[in-house]
Amino acid sequence: MTKTTGAPARQEVAVAFDRVSKTYGNVHAVDRLSLTLHPGETVALLGPNGAGKSTTLDLLLGLRQPDSGTVQVFGTGPREAIVAGRVGAMLQSGGLMDEVTVAELVTLACALHPRPHPVSDVLARAGVTPIADRKVNKLSGGQEQRVRFALATAGDSDLIVLDEPTTGMDVTARQAFWATMRDQADQGRTVLFATHYLEEADAIADRVLVLHRGRLLADGTAAEIKAKAGARRVSFDLEGAIDEPALRALPFLTALTVSGQTVRMQSTDADATVHALYGLGLYPRNLEVAGLGLEQAFVALTAAEEAKQS
Amino acid sequence: MNSLIRLELVRALRNRKFLFFSVIYPSVLFLLIAGSADDTTKVDGTGLTLPTYMMVSMASFGALTAVLMGNSERIAKERENGWVRQLRLTTLPGRGYVLAKTAGAAVVSLPSIVVVFAVAATVKNVRLDAWQWLALTGAIWVGSLVFAALGVALGYLASGDAVRPITMIVYFGLSILGGLWMPTTTFPQWLQDMAKWVPTHAYAALGQSIEQSQAPHARDIVVLAVFFALFTGGAAWLYRKDTLKA
Repeated sequence: MTKTTGAPARQEVAVAFDRVSKTYGNVHAVDRLSLTLHPGETVALLGPNGAGKSTTLDLLLGLRQPDSGTVQVFGTGPREAIVAGRVGAMLQSGGLMDEVTVAELVTLACALHPRPHPVSDVLARAGVTPIADRKVNKLSGGQEQRVRFALATAGDSDLIVLDEPTTGMDVTARQAFWATMRDQADQGRTVLFATHYLEEADAIADRVLVLHRGRLLADGTAAEIKAKAGARRVSFDLEGAIDEPALRALPFLTALTVSGQTVRMQSTDADATVHALYGLGLYPRNLEVAGLGLEQAFVALTAAEEAKQS
Repeated sequence: MNSLIRLELVRALRNRKFLFFSVIYPSVLFLLIAGSADDTTKVDGTGLTLPTYMMVSMASFGALTAVLMGNSERIAKERENGWVRQLRLTTLPGRGYVLAKTAGAAVVSLPSIVVVFAVAATVKNVRLDAWQWLALTGAIWVGSLVFAALGVALGYLASGDAVRPITMIVYFGLSILGGLWMPTTTFPQWLQDMAKWVPTHAYAALGQSIEQSQAPHARDIVVLAVFFALFTGGAAWLYRKDTLKA
């Protein structure tokens, strides 16, 4: 992922981690992590709990200092980039000032940004105009997330960092929020978001980073990650008694579940598996062969890594 | 930074419960203690009448309440809920948060001082020269910064459930030992000797020397200066430690 050095103003790197490590006690939260984000990218940061997502974002934002390695944001240290107004961020752990209204809080965020947007625009874009006069401590979880988003987008920042932005939102609210996020990316901003909703990464990210035990396990488009996981999903119905041991013996099979008359399996070579299935003299109905969703690919990838390490 | 100070002020003035507690309560306590005293009883060794003496004690107590009670708890809470972290993602310099908190407290402490003076002057006929009223207001208001720094330090020292009891112990300890509730001259001798070194005692003594039209005692100034340095130093150290921990 190295870019050729051209005119520095155009070929600027948004975020650069160079062999960054952070240890708590004897836990390697982030382990010699190197990665580069380029301007305009929309990047999802995925990983199971404890993979080091939060620590990575903390290091990126200068809230923690790395034990070794360097973190650069637009060619400077994180704090300098924030002071220059180039970074807007919402943290999961970022609280809000209570006993003030949403509008007052957003006004504050705008006042603190060197290149602020008009308060009314920020409120509208985050979808909090209808609750602008409400006290911050009287909001629902999803509304709070929107206010955090408003704080992160109060000014003309080049990089927006969002930590689990849609936590606490229902499906409809989440999809509406994605539109808001896409809008930020369409304006040419670099958007980095950590999430555990893989659907979210699939829907908006043009690049997915999979973090596992503080290291980068995969880096590519959602499609590439799915391909890397390699498996396909096969499902069908069978009539009569199901001979499970025989099914389990099918070639290239990695997973099998039988519920009622429905059989679901995963295979690293679906063509060969289905061929062998017919070879057993079975007549599968409603046969479906599909690629794995990002979710299953992710599970497969991290499980494979776990197996490798133990 | 001004925008945060402004918002802290708005919030401080909006919190009616806290305003009542720190603005009205010292005056109520003043009336309870000095209410039955006549204008001629002198407090031992001061040459001041009880109402005059207690007026300064209660104004100091009110200012102490405003700057200590509000901030320690709020800072501890905002550290915990992550607002302090969120602010670190803005251009606000690190000290801005603490300055805004202190300014918010100062806005509440001023009316609490003035209300005690007004009650003492109208109800108990306390009479002083104009310069004394002004000097008293200034000294007690500025002196409260010592305890504002203590409030910040406590907010960074304790967290969660611990902050309220710790603040309460410190608050009552300082109020009683410093002689804000009753003149220290009523204490046994050994306690009086100790009380001389308590910052709240020096704080009230500053106001009493103004009432006596005397220059303040050098010891009181030194005690206040040392504690101010101690509290701000402690607050700064704890703040930095908290920042590294994120």
